[in-house]
Amino acid sequence: METVIKTNNLSKVYTDTAVPVHALRSVSLEFRQGEFTAIVGPSGSGKTTFLNVVGGLDKPTEGHVIIDGVDIATMKESKLFDFRLRHIGFVFQAYNLIPVLTAIENVSFIMLLQNRPKAEMEERAKQMLEQVGLSDKLNVRPAKLSGGQQQRVAVARALASKPDFVLADEPTANLDTESAFNLLDIMAKLNKEENITLIFSTHDQRVIERARRVITLVDGAVDKDETFNREN
Amino acid sequence: MKTLLTIAWRNLWRKKRRTLITASSVMFATILAIALMSIIEGWKDEMVESIISNTTGHLQIQDVLYHDESSIDHALEYEEEVKQTVAKYGDDIKYTVPRIEGFCLGAKDIGTRGVFLTGILPEKENRMNDLSSRLIKGEMFSADDNYAVIAEGVATQLELSTGDTLVLIGQGFQGMTAAGKYKVGGILEFPLPEQNNTMVYLPLKEAQYFFAAPDRLNRLIMMMEDEREADRLAQQMQNDLDDDWYTVKTWEQLMPDKVAAFEARDAQVKVFVWVLYIVAGFGILGTVITMMHERLREFGILLSIGLKRTQLAIICMLETIFISFIGVITGVVVGFPVIYRLHKNPIPITDDDLKEAIIDFGLEPVFSFSAEPGIFIYQAVTIFLIAIIVGLYPVQKVFRLEMTDSASN
Ligand SMILES: Nc1ncnc2c1ncn2[C@@H]1O[C@H](COP(=O)(O)OP(=O)(O)O)[C@@H](O)[C@H]1O
Ligand SMILES: [Mg+2]
Repeated sequence: METVIKTNNLSKVYTDTAVPVHALRSVSLEFRQGEFTAIVGPSGSGKTTFLNVVGGLDKPTEGHVIIDGVDIATMKESKLFDFRLRHIGFVFQAYNLIPVLTAIENVSFIMLLQNRPKAEMEERAKQMLEQVGLSDKLNVRPAKLSGGQQQRVAVARALASKPDFVLADEPTANLDTESAFNLLDIMAKLNKEENITLIFSTHDQRVIERARRVITLVDGAVDKDETFNREN
Repeated sequence: MKTLLTIAWRNLWRKKRRTLITASSVMFATILAIALMSIIEGWKDEMVESIISNTTGHLQIQDVLYHDESSIDHALEYEEEVKQTVAKYGDDIKYTVPRIEGFCLGAKDIGTRGVFLTGILPEKENRMNDLSSRLIKGEMFSADDNYAVIAEGVATQLELSTGDTLVLIGQGFQGMTAAGKYKVGGILEFPLPEQNNTMVYLPLKEAQYFFAAPDRLNRLIMMMEDEREADRLAQQMQNDLDDDWYTVKTWEQLMPDKVAAFEARDAQVKVFVWVLYIVAGFGILGTVITMMHERLREFGILLSIGLKRTQLAIICMLETIFISFIGVITGVVVGFPVIYRLHKNPIPITDDDLKEAIIDFGLEPVFSFSAEPGIFIYQAVTIFLIAIIVGLYPVQKVFRLEMTDSASN
């Protein structure tokens, strides 16, 4: 399978703190097309930093992030904006959705920024909301949705534009167990159906076993990298 | 762009009450500013009208030298060239008011006194400034009479009454001696002492004869159909007239100190209005800052998923402009009908002393309001500028926002 992301000796040191913090230490990983990976580790182990650096939201102190043959670690900010828009989907822990837009407008938003044709956009947004089980909430604003429903809309939005891969930083952290399982099931299903590479971070034991590959970070370094053969 | 507009517009209504309060502060500032400018403009219009009808008219043709040296020697010859030019612009000119004038000595028995003699056509003066209405005794002469009408102060000081004889001695055209005896046929009362203590009127022909300047005038006043055309008309007439001899002046050129005084007051009012707007501007700024800070995470996420900084900045700027415009437009919508009514039906002044002083001044005893569109446009433009300035705050913030600070958990 084709390699989608390759990180090379990624290090990140925060020096604006009293004592320099080594948030990432020489992380070299490869992610292939269609993988469904969990980044796990205790709080402060560097999960968010890793996802931010891979997503081009933050610069590594050292090392490279190769996506599509380009090193985004050295890319200029203005170019990165466009790169993220076209290649990467994001799901965050909270505040994902634009509060003043309805579910379907939120799902269409990235495609809209990409200037996709209107008809295609609408059809795809409807299809994605159906996939996440929210076809009856098309015209509802986020405030009227439960936390789990909001995260499902966020997942639908991240995948709707068919990015190369989706990064999800603790997408289940604010959810109850049932909603968390439900969200992970949907993510696993979409990962399979759409064949989009999905990387999510979590420190929640409950959801780790949904992933087919589990990478454990300890103090910013890769501790374990395990692959499981699972039927989702 | 449509999406950005939609988002900005809907963002305003996330905190409805706050938006409405901010917009109303802008609205009240707008209404106050409009009212202030309207009453000052209205007052100015009254003053200008009074100056034009009581003093200068809209335009005057004079001898080139007269404005700087008001001697009878610089009286213009009212000949064909002038008459034809005036006739040529008959569409613009409603009527003309000719005057000849000069200082001379008024005497009765042994008493003497400096007076200002003006030769006039009474029906023209009446049309321009209703001169006859100032009569307190006797009557106004007609063009062919040969008696004088004098101001009340002159009458008192020379102990003259109607029927008495006034002797005038002065200098005529090109050094001729001017002297004459005139019966007093009427007495006028003027509110301004400098007029009340000096004015003596004679029929134009009689005065020209007195000054030994037949067919000469010191000013040919022109009253126009539309005073806004004054500058253009002055220019055109000047082009047609020989500028070695004649000069055409607008009332503004004739009264530069009054114009300067109006401008100075306009400047004061503008300062006041700007203070109002700065207060309103800080109101908007407060709201904009709050709106910004409660959405930093949201902004971070928007930037992370691919919205460009410029696009986010446009959203923020639009929000500021929207709030300001809701305020200014409601301000105008509420203010305009009120001002318009006051413009049509000015508020009468009830205080008796003030009322009298104003009537004496030749003004109507009312608070008049101007409904010039310029006043309303000025508000819109000013608020727009302030909105842009205030809107720069979130814009520069957006460009400095660190995505990881705001987006990460
Ligand atoms: N902006 C920052 N400045 C300084 N230190 C930071 C910053 N962001 C994260 N850190 C530190 O880096 C380490 C890794 O943090 P993070 O990647 O957020 O871990 P995780 O997401 O696994 O909880 C932590 O010790 C954290 O305190
Ligand atoms: Mg984290």
